[in-house]
Parts: sequence; C-alpha cells; structure tokens
Amino acid sequence: MLELRNISKTFGAFHALKSVSLAIRPGEIHGLVGANGSGKSTLLNIISGQRIIHDTGGFRGELLYENEPRRFASPGHAIGAGIGMVHQEFALIPGLSVSENISLTGEKIIEFSRKFLGNDLACINRSANKANASAILRRMGIDLDPGLDTGNLSVSMKQFVEIAREFNRDRLKLLLLDEPTAVLGTDDAARLMDAVKGIAEHGTAVLYVSHRLEEIVSFCDRVTVLRNGEVAGSLDKKQNGIKALSDLMVGEKVIKTNRTPMKASEKPVIQFSSFSVEKPGDRLESLDLAVFKGEILGITSLSGHGRTAIGPGIMGICPSGGSVILHGKALHANHPLKMIKKNIWMLPEDRRGEGLLADHSIMENMTFTAIQTQKKFIRKTPVPFISFPDEKKCRAYAESCIEALDINCRSVFQKVRELSGGNQQKVCIANALSMTPDILFVNDPTRGIDIAAKESILGLLVNAHATHGMTLVISSGELEELRRICDRIVVLYRGRLFDVLSPDRNEKDFILACSGIRPGDS
Amino acid sequence: MKRVGVQIPQFFIIFFLILMMFLAFRLEIPLNWIISDALVRLVMNGVLVLSLVPMLRAGIGINFGLPVGVIAGLLGLCMSVNMSIKGLLGLSAGILFSIPFAVALGYGYAGILNRVKGKEEITATFVGFSFIPLMNFFWSTAPFTNPAMLWPIGGKGMRPVIGLKSYFAKALNQLWMVEIAGVRVPIGLLLFFGILCLLLFLFFRTNFGRALKAVGENEQFAGLAGINISRVRAWAVILSTVIGAIGICVYAQSYGFIELYDAPLMMAFPAASAILVGGSMGRHTHIIHVVIGTFLFQTTYLISGPIANELMIPEVAEIFRLMITNGIILYALLYEGGKSHAAV
Repeated sequence: MLELRNISKTFGAFHALKSVSLAIRPGEIHGLVGANGSGKSTLLNIISGQRIIHDTGGFRGELLYENEPRRFASPGHAIGAGIGMVHQEFALIPGLSVSENISLTGEKIIEFSRKFLGNDLACINRSANKANASAILRRMGIDLDPGLDTGNLSVSMKQFVEIAREFNRDRLKLLLLDEPTAVLGTDDAARLMDAVKGIAEHGTAVLYVSHRLEEIVSFCDRVTVLRNGEVAGSLDKKQNGIKALSDLMVGEKVIKTNRTPMKASEKPVIQFSSFSVEKPGDRLESLDLAVFKGEILGITSLSGHGRTAIGPGIMGICPSGGSVILHGKALHANHPLKMIKKNIWMLPEDRRGEGLLADHSIMENMTFTAIQTQKKFIRKTPVPFISFPDEKKCRAYAESCIEALDINCRSVFQKVRELSGGNQQKVCIANALSMTPDILFVNDPTRGIDIAAKESILGLLVNAHATHGMTLVISSGELEELRRICDRIVVLYRGRLFDVLSPDRNEKDFILACSGIRPGDS
Repeated sequence: MKRVGVQIPQFFIIFFLILMMFLAFRLEIPLNWIISDALVRLVMNGVLVLSLVPMLRAGIGINFGLPVGVIAGLLGLCMSVNMSIKGLLGLSAGILFSIPFAVALGYGYAGILNRVKGKEEITATFVGFSFIPLMNFFWSTAPFTNPAMLWPIGGKGMRPVIGLKSYFAKALNQLWMVEIAGVRVPIGLLLFFGILCLLLFLFFRTNFGRALKAVGENEQFAGLAGINISRVRAWAVILSTVIGAIGICVYAQSYGFIELYDAPLMMAFPAASAILVGGSMGRHTHIIHVVIGTFLFQTTYLISGPIANELMIPEVAEIFRLMITNGIILYALLYEGGKSHAAV
C-alpha cells in the first residue's frame, strides 16, 4: 500500500528525518509515536504532499504508493490519489451544515441540471447529500442530525465530522490521523477508534499518530517509534506494551545533572488554588499548587495540555479564575503592570511575537520594561510628567549583560531582528533580569534554539536563580532539560495537574505521566 | 540595517522635479522666486504633514482623519478673528484657542479608532468625511458676530472664505524676512517649523515617546511590559489632532484666508502623499521624512503651475497634481499590502 524507503528531510542544517523506512499494508492500522520534535509531523507532511516540504527543498528517499514511486507536490495530488488527512486543527466551515461539510467538493448533483449548466454550476442534490451523510455517520456509530450547523457542535462532534468527511471519499485508500483524540474524552475516543476500525476493515490503511500510548497499544496492528528523526524500532501487536513503547521513545541516555536540587524552604511564596486559565489552545483547569521560595519549578505536559498557560494567566494576559495567594495575601491577576509592581514577570514562549521589539536596538530591548514600569535608568527633568531614559546607564547595563550573558552581537545598538534565536532569548532574559523580579515564569525557554545555545540559556537561568535568589517557574516540553535544572517537576495532563515528580525519577515515568498513566497501573 | 536609497515614489518625484526645473530654466521662470516660494510652502504644508507622525509611529496608520484637527484649528482661528486680534498675537491666539478643541475632538476620535483596530485608515477617512457635513451645519448657524466673517447679505452664517488681510495674514511669513542673493528667506517661519520638529523629536525620546513607538511595533510586547495600550494610542491620536490644528493655523495665515465648509475635506491627501514621498513606511517614519517629503512634493506643485500655463492649458497642472497625489497614496497602500501578503 504505502512504503517509505530511507526518507530523509532537512530544514536548513537541521535533520528532521534521517533515513526513515516504514510500510503499511491495506487494512492495517499503523501507529506512529515519538516524543515532541521526533519528526512525526514532518513525516505526515511528506506523505500528504504539504507545500511546506516542497518549498523547503523536498525530501530524499523513495515514497512508494501502490507500488509506484510517487512524490506529491501538493495536497491536491495526494487527495486525488486517495490519501485523506485529518488535522489536529479543524478545517470545517462553521456556517455550513454537517452534511454540507461532509460532502464539500464531493457533492452529489442532480444529473439533469448538469446537462444544461455543466459540472461546476449544476444543482446540488440536497436530500441525496443528507442521506449520504447520515449513512456515513451511522456507519461511524454516531447519532448526529446532518442538518445541524457545524459551528454550534461540540469539539468532539466536530472531530467526528472532520473524519466523516474523509470517509466520504469513494477512493479513500490511506487515512492519516494526526492526534485525532487529543481533544476528545475517553468515551468519544473509543467511539472514534471503533469507527476507524470499521474503515480499516473495508481495506483502507490508517496511519495513526498519537501521544496517548494506551490507545496506540490497544488499537494499532503495528507501531513505529520515531526518536530524533530516526526509526527507533517497530513493534507489532503481540510485542507492544506501554513499557516497551516508552523504552523505545526514551532510548539509552546518560543524564548529566547540572545542579543539585536545593533544599526547598517550607514557605510557599505563591499558592494557586483551583486556578484556571483560558488560554486558546492551552487551557489550564483548577490547578492547586504551592511554589516555594527560591525553588526552580518545572512544568511539563504534551503541547496543548496546559503547560504554557500559567504565566499568561497570572500576568492577566489570558482570562483566569480561581485564587492566587502571594506572600500570604490574595492576589487579583488582571493587568501586567500590577504584577510587575509585585515583582512578578513572565518570559513568553513566542519571542518574536511577544517578547521583543524586533526593530529596536539590543539596548532598548534590555531596558524597556524597567524604564517604563519601574522608573529605572531614568533621567528626570524639571518639567513634571516628562522624563528621558538615561542613555549612559542603559548602555552600561546593556554592555554588562552582553558580557555576562555572552551575547554575540556587533554593538548594543544592533537591531534585535538581526540576532539569532538563542541571542534573542538572551536579550529577553536580560530584559527580565533588569527588573529583578522575585518570581519569573518562563515559557519554553529553549524552543527553536540550537543545542549549544540551549545549554547556555539553561546555565543563565540557573545562574540568575542562584545570584538573585529568584523563584523560577519554567514550563517546557523538553523533559531532559527540566530534569537537569529543576527541584520539582509538575506534570499536567489535559489541563489538570496529574502528578508532581522529583527530577531523579525515571524518564519513562515522566513520559507515562504525560500520557496520563501512573507507573503503578498498566 | 537602516534602509538607505531611493524608493519608487521618491524616484518619480525627483525625476519629475528635475524635468520641471529644466523646463523652468528654458522658460526663463526666475529661480529665486521659485526658491523663496518653495521655502514658504514647505512650512505652510509641513506642519500639517508633521501631524501625521505620532499616529504613524503608534502603528495607527496614516491620519486620513486630518479634517478633525483642521476643524479644531478653524474654530480657534474664527474665535481669534471674532475678537479682532491682529498680527502675530492674533495667530497665537488662534493656535491657543484651537488646542482645547483639538484635545477634545481628538479624544473622541481616538475612542472611535481604538474600537476598530486593524481598520483605522479607512475608518479615519470616513470620520473625516462625515464630520464635515456636521460642521457645515455648525458654520451656517455659528454664533460669531464679526461682520467680516458673516454673509454680507442677511448677516447670518459664516462665509465660505474669510479674508485675513486686516487680521493676521502672512504674520508669521513676514517675521524676520531676510533677502539673501535675491532669495527671500522667511527666517521666523522656518524657525517656527524647526522648533516644532525639534519638540516632536524630543517627545519621541521621552519615556512616553518610547512607549508609543513600542506600541506601534509590537502591541503584545508593550502589553506584557505593563503599558496601557489604548491610552497610549489615544494620546498619539490627540497629539496628531493638536498638531493638525496648529498646522491649519499656519496654513491659513500663509494663504491669507480661512476656508470653511467643504475645504478641509481633501486636506489629508496631499499631506499623506508628501510624507510617503519623503520615504515614510508605516511606523518607520522619521521627522526628516516630513521635511524632505513636503519640500519635494510642494516644490513640484509650485513649479508645475507656471510651466503648464506657459506650455499648455492651465488645467493640465491640476490634473498632474491629482495624479501624483493619489498615485503615490495608491502605491504606498499597494506596497504595504504586498509586504503583509509576502509575510504570510
């Protein structure tokens, strides 16, 4: 059906996939698992002919589809060949009914009108489409009126409609599912898997990507595990168990500890109780957590399970509920300025979008927030309300940061836009340090940064922690990094606190916890 | 790296200007006359162009609602004329009276613009357009009493054009006028413009000015840094409106007339063209762009008139002017659109 031979893909100097091979037979449900950044999405993009692959120079290796070498230049070609893909994000049109969405571009038309009006303008046979849609939904085991407006459906129903649309194709031979159950509850996930099984029995091959190991184990005929862009191994139904999978995902790694966890003081500096944050795509629900003074707390989860929500929630950028107690006093999180006054700040995960003024100089970026909110680096004028930044102090601070944080740049006046990702992150950190916050929330500090720079950023955070005595709350998907620098690690699952683990726990325990499994149960 | 070099609008206008200069030379139009008039026109329109800068810097876009500021200025001028204050004092009084109106109108205008983030330019255009009929109603019933401003017959309602000859026409133009090598240099006028530019330049170096630039560049960042974005944007709009009001006062004294009713309708377009000719690209706008742009743009206007009179029918000059003005705005909109499209 589909066979991949030695597929390699590079993005610039980064090797996303290194000679990956796998084969799928008709009617087989093939699982694909791997940690974040192991190359799963890239592989799906290659198979489904996404433009991004073509635009970044294509791929090497052979893709055999129905025993013919193929190279899909656009999603249209892949669809034409009978490959369907269901994305994590919905691609449904809210204003149309369920049946219209399902039959979109494949509508049944009234044959009679085609003779006069041609294929494009022919009248659509509404009742036939509706009947067809309800037949498909019934086959999937879902009770849904196809006349409803798609925009009003629940998230899980939308996911079913999305999959039903792929089922509607007459020639569906291969179905790619990219984490289809990420947004579904357990019951809905089970129903969806039943529906997919039904499809597979009709001879359609399914490539199923998921982070939920228990699903993969119970549901897939064979599983391929990716690790750092390579095939770490492939298991079939008899061998695979959750333990075997997580062993393969982790591999043999030597963990070097950078920092011995300190003895946490007993005094909580900030306490969350039933704290919820409504961050789009990354909700956090009723978190109960105490952060102790002077500790480094790690927060991890799969993406979309709430790890980046806590910072924006407390800064008042995203709406939040529940209560927060800071130094024993209730805190109402609603505006960044208030939080800055209380010496709390956050480094956002999207540096270019939220963390930097790309067209301003390094110096201005490093001192901006302190100047605006804390009246540091300021030269007063006799006129009230008018004050100028003190260029000399700013420059001295920026130069000392460039030296201390080892930022690679021409001068303090260079625009931040021209710096590399790692150096930009260092500028962000310098900006945060200029305010000497007591508590700093850091989101994904090493995202999109090369390995050498990652090390130095982590070193910087640890260093800042040691010298300023600030409390750090670092959220990251990079488990290994968190385990090296944190005192405790919080694992979130579906937006809720799942477990608090010590960093010396086995990496497998972390991977299982991220998928919502405690090591005890299996 | 700062982008250096001539872009398409500048290239066209400079080419056009050189062509004009050549023709003017051939037609023996006196050069010293052109230069002294160019200097006057630079300031006459320059303040109006300068008023676009705060809003551009704050990322709100070109202030196509310039008529709002202009109307505030006209109100101030009319009050000054109504009190028959003469000379420089009259002009200063006009500016002073207009500032409270500008602040008040600017505040309301800012409220509208803060509600339509992302569509400010088109909204501003229509705020300007719809404000004018409202003011026409006011002008025709305004409770001013100086007969020089009222209709000669009936004695009610304002005249469309009010002569300033006996009040403060050319008061600032004539201040410290010096003749150097046959060129009359209006030092007072240039100094006034220079000080205004300097003040605005200094404003952008204050803390608040920096916050304003940061809002223009990255709202999320500014928000995270604790800046009240709506307030900063409102101040940018108010500042633009106040400078716009001062601008019309300078313009009117230079022109010698106050023009009411529909006259402010199209004020925004030549100003927008001028700043674009100067090389302004959205929030990358510097005060030097204002000076260069106004000078090039107004000088082209200035010479094209007499040349067209000599060579062709006079209307041709007006046709060319409109083509240049609107063509440049169209180019700038296309360029901005193209850039955001490419970014996707």
